[in-house]
Amino acid sequence: MTDSRRLVLNRLKEHAIAGDTSYPAYSHPHTGISDPRRSFQSVIESVGGECRFVADLEAARKAVTGFEVFAMAKQVCSYVKEIADGNFDAEAKADAHQCADVDLTIIRGELGVAENGAVWVNADPLRHRALLFLSGHLILVIKGRDIVPDMESAYARIDFTRLRSGYFISGPSKTADIEQCLVIGVHGAKSLLVLIVG
Amino acid sequence: MKSHARLAAAFLKQEERAHWHDQALWYVREKRDRMAASVPDWEALRETAQAIKRHALANLPRYLEEFERNAAARGAIVHYALDAAEHNHIVLELLKGRNARLVAKSKSMLSEECGLNEFLERNGIEVVETDLAERIIQLAGERPSHIVLPSIHIRKEEVGDIFHEHLGTEKGESDPTRLTRAARTHLREKFLAAEAGISGVNFAVAETGAVVICTNEGNADLGNSLPDLYIAVMGVEKVIPKTKDLSVFLRLLSRSATGQPISAYTSHLLGPRPGQEMHIVIVDNGRSEILRREQFHKAAFCIRCGACLNTCPVYRRSCGHSYNFVIPGPIGTILAMHRDLKKYKDMPYASTLCGSCTAVCPVMIDIHRQIVLWRNEVVKAGYLGRAKLAALKTATLGMKRTRLFRMGGWTVRKLLRILPPFVLDNRLTIWGKFRDLPKMPAQSFRAQYRAYSRRKTDPLGLGANREGRP
Repeated sequence: MTDSRRLVLNRLKEHAIAGDTSYPAYSHPHTGISDPRRSFQSVIESVGGECRFVADLEAARKAVTGFEVFAMAKQVCSYVKEIADGNFDAEAKADAHQCADVDLTIIRGELGVAENGAVWVNADPLRHRALLFLSGHLILVIKGRDIVPDMESAYARIDFTRLRSGYFISGPSKTADIEQCLVIGVHGAKSLLVLIVG
Repeated sequence: MKSHARLAAAFLKQEERAHWHDQALWYVREKRDRMAASVPDWEALRETAQAIKRHALANLPRYLEEFERNAAARGAIVHYALDAAEHNHIVLELLKGRNARLVAKSKSMLSEECGLNEFLERNGIEVVETDLAERIIQLAGERPSHIVLPSIHIRKEEVGDIFHEHLGTEKGESDPTRLTRAARTHLREKFLAAEAGISGVNFAVAETGAVVICTNEGNADLGNSLPDLYIAVMGVEKVIPKTKDLSVFLRLLSRSATGQPISAYTSHLLGPRPGQEMHIVIVDNGRSEILRREQFHKAAFCIRCGACLNTCPVYRRSCGHSYNFVIPGPIGTILAMHRDLKKYKDMPYASTLCGSCTAVCPVMIDIHRQIVLWRNEVVKAGYLGRAKLAALKTATLGMKRTRLFRMGGWTVRKLLRILPPFVLDNRLTIWGKFRDLPKMPAQSFRAQYRAYSRRKTDPLGLGANREGRP
């Protein structure tokens, strides 16, 4: 194995890439976004998710209580206690496999990206990162001031120094693998609600 | 081995299916166009993407070492493989070491290239593809016909038949939602039972040691988070220098691939989850040779978005299975030629050289130009068929001599007006097999041009445009 490592790295030293090979200085802010909140909402809706603006956590609690998925869910795992108490404690489970039947997970996102409707979720506070994908439905809660216009500004704000796993989540799990027909809910969440607080 | 032309002819016999295939891909291409147009800096992004690739690939040893160091600091174990065989061997040993019998696998073109699944199954390990399309293909016993949409050639009724046979869905079921639900239930069981997960990698960030994976279904994430053993496999070219570079590539990738603003899940993994073993296998398998070829090294810039397949008029009308290489279409062609010039000699000819592939490529690979250059290589190596070679030699002869060329043009213009159609439209004339002859003009191009130049006015308005007037 160490031999292969040396051989591969040696082989790659020689190459035919000519001309300017310096690292480019660049910045490409998305200049087409005048209202990040509206853009975020319209993209999330176009990819099969739902997005609601609420004034505060109390209003968020009301929105979730009236949410059909919440009413139907048997196992609810909540990491945002101000919004819902939940009845399933994933932190108390030793193994992620025990979370396989969770119907709904409520968790905070750190950022929303207006250009593509992606929410950055740092999974490190979770004991089981698999929960994000096992859960039948997902509610992501972000602060209104945490919506950034584009991916460049998003990455500028994410701290990778101690991160172990982080995800951009944009919409529910989906596929178009059968005749290009969009089907929502393949392996991961069958629905996604993004609550924007404040 | 049958040539692309023969396989494509067989595919085109099913006219309705061929038309449907063409339309399905064109729909994806149109979505891509709308997405590209919605990003104001699109062309500048493509240029930056290419500049980053040029820089990263020119400094690969340095960036691979940086990536390896950072990934190792997070607890991942990095392996290097010279070729497909070593890659397969490393993966097998890792699986054996943990007594893994069932693997939940996510889409990876690298593993297709290495024939990993067949190898593992020969060694008694059950590999379950978890991407819906890949699972359909796997159950059907086929290979992907597209690098991003592997089952684009299969109709929903056929998926219904495959699922009826293997997953026990109702006979005749062809509703995509119900079929997808059945696959969800079936694959959920596999995810929960798998002892190991394997996935490809979209980007590996040197600066942090992060492995970045893009999926829409969430399958890669279940596969890399549930089992106690996770193996990520990647080609050496996947390394990019900085986290910031992801903002360039992620903005281009999904928009180019499927016309989505971003994939549903973009996962950044820095080391294993607690209690897990994470391995990263970095594979050369011919990539270093691509980078050493002056005219052809840009093929290694590819980020596997598939946009060049969706736009290619030949790919859309011939299906990925008509190409003998694991990666079909324009990018497949310029990758296949590095692998085996003789075996894939027909691939550069499965092109109209229209340049649409180059126009959509998010990292600006000059794909159609490379296809022409590969034709040169095929001719130089003597692999061109006798009939084609004879035709080309005749053409060269004529084109080198002005008088002969003029005389030839004159003869053809006159003759074609007199000769009955069957002279060209018969089985012996290969050229006329799928082509109609254009109407012959009364005058040669030279004569027309001379007449045009003599005129003071500009009947076609070309001059006005040239000077920028309305």
